[in-house]
Amino acid sequence: MMTFLVRRLAIILPTLVFVSFIIFGLQQLLPGDPALAMAGEERDPDAIAHIRKTLRLDEPIAMRYAYWMAGVVQGDLGISLRIQKPVGELVLQKLPVTLQLAAMAMLVALLIGIPMGMLSAVKNGSAWDYGANVIALWGLSTPNFWLGIMMILLFSVELGWLPASGYVPPAEGLGANLAAMVMPAFVLGNAIAAVMMRHTRSAMLQVLSSDYVRTARAKGLYERAVIGKHAWRNASIPVITLGALEFGQLLSGAVLTEQVFSIPGFGKLIVDAVFNRDYAVVQGVVLCTASAYILLNFLADIAYMLVNPRLRS
Amino acid sequence: MTALLEVEDLRTSFKVESGRFQAVDGIDLRLEAGRTLGVVGESGCGKSVTALSIMGLVASPPGEVAAAKIRFEGRDLLALSADAMRDLRGDRLAMIFQEPMTSLNPAFTVGDQIAEAIQRHRGLDRAAAWARAVEMLRRVHIPAAEARAHDYPHKLSGGMRQRVMIAMALALDPKLLIADEPTTALDVTVQAQILDLLRRLRAESGMAILIITHDLGVIAELADDVTVMYAGKVVERAPVEALFEAPQHPYTIGLLGSIPRLEREQARLDAIEGVVPNPLSPPAGCRFHPRCPFAEARCREAEPGLGPVGPSHFAACWRTPLP
Repeated sequence: MMTFLVRRLAIILPTLVFVSFIIFGLQQLLPGDPALAMAGEERDPDAIAHIRKTLRLDEPIAMRYAYWMAGVVQGDLGISLRIQKPVGELVLQKLPVTLQLAAMAMLVALLIGIPMGMLSAVKNGSAWDYGANVIALWGLSTPNFWLGIMMILLFSVELGWLPASGYVPPAEGLGANLAAMVMPAFVLGNAIAAVMMRHTRSAMLQVLSSDYVRTARAKGLYERAVIGKHAWRNASIPVITLGALEFGQLLSGAVLTEQVFSIPGFGKLIVDAVFNRDYAVVQGVVLCTASAYILLNFLADIAYMLVNPRLRS
Repeated sequence: MTALLEVEDLRTSFKVESGRFQAVDGIDLRLEAGRTLGVVGESGCGKSVTALSIMGLVASPPGEVAAAKIRFEGRDLLALSADAMRDLRGDRLAMIFQEPMTSLNPAFTVGDQIAEAIQRHRGLDRAAAWARAVEMLRRVHIPAAEARAHDYPHKLSGGMRQRVMIAMALALDPKLLIADEPTTALDVTVQAQILDLLRRLRAESGMAILIITHDLGVIAELADDVTVMYAGKVVERAPVEALFEAPQHPYTIGLLGSIPRLEREQARLDAIEGVVPNPLSPPAGCRFHPRCPFAEARCREAEPGLGPVGPSHFAACWRTPLP
């Protein structure tokens, strides 16, 4: 068990180094020159040269990578070229927003996807099953931005129940915060719920036809124990994988949904940064989300071990 | 004497794309308390479906169980509600399966899987149920039972897992144990140990056993009476000695001919030619006639009924002598 965890931990560092190469390398391929972007309309050659010098843009790529990494390992992600603020500060500012949105969307996805998947597997071939599949197909094929706009039209414009957009920090009122977040969370969660439902359904169908489920029934166990204990424990493994991946996806920012609801999260931060050639911000945000992704996968591995005793020995 | 289990005209079918597949086609079984009935036949003859039908474990849909009667301890199982059937299952009526490797849940300890059945039916607290589970593991001769109870199934060998399955089935002192090919997946030496264990536990508890197998060796070891099934029907029924000494149905004779014997020089074993008929379109007349070396014209036209051929001995063949 410990060797499994240690092995998993041991590959995290090389993975992160590799990710940093990719982030830094791809960044260099982006068209445009930050020095030009910053120099403004005048394009004074002296000013451009000065900017190049201070940003070390005239040095070889390997050196620039080394400077960047030296800062990163000390917790310094660099300075935003555009707003002249430390990237670390920007990330910390947006992180709670994105984290809250991702957590709420995940909650929506789990609460809808898993029970619906279980129901449609248990009632395989029935009206429940077809109904759940239709809802899942709808969730999969509805674009997030469209659903977002429709919800704004219904709940904000027509009914006036919820604010159409904007973000309120929880410190300024939890009710207002939740009211602002519930629609974007539902929009994001709805699409993931559909995928969750399909995966839960197929995993449950497979497990329900297994010999040990028959054994559980032969013992005279109630169906809730057969389904909830014997079947679900084994069917949850692929669902955990999917959950970790989807959560990582959410953390990297929901660009369209944040745009529609004007939520100031990672998605908005990174889009603004890319348009403005704000290298340091793009690198910093992508590195943070990649790290979060890797961490989530590690947590999923731990969850596997808790669920699957064969991995523990 | 009233029988512990009486099955009359059991018909179990499954809905498939091309129609209905009649897995069991009107069979009768009778088992007295404390006795052992063997049901023997090739794969696909309907013997496992018979067991699952009695247990109420045939999934519906696609399965459908119909019978004139399935009586257990005087109660009509077909008339019982799903809840009443659940109360019976695992308590008075228990079952063990062919595949000990896959029949235990990989995610829970064996002690937990035994104890949960005890808690379910007896309402004991966790500690008492666990103690009973450990005691059952000891009864099926699992060494270091206290420690093994905390093991997950993947740590145990096939033979040990089948012992766990037996411990689980017998934890509530059932009156009837249905054993579906309990030794098929095991090594030969382990098979003998498991049969020995079943015999000993039967003597201790006085339970009846319905043993389902394709292996006449297992029948000889364990059964008092034998029912031979072919393509969803009973073709012969006899006390075990009579069946081995004077088999009447050509199919039974064929089955016995395919067992190697030490006392007889044999260049090669006799195999039954051909394959089991397609259950979606069984042959007309006697279902065995396409493979029967003695088949004659009337076998192709009409189906023979089960008729007496000796004391408590019945066979369904046109050529068996009338008494």
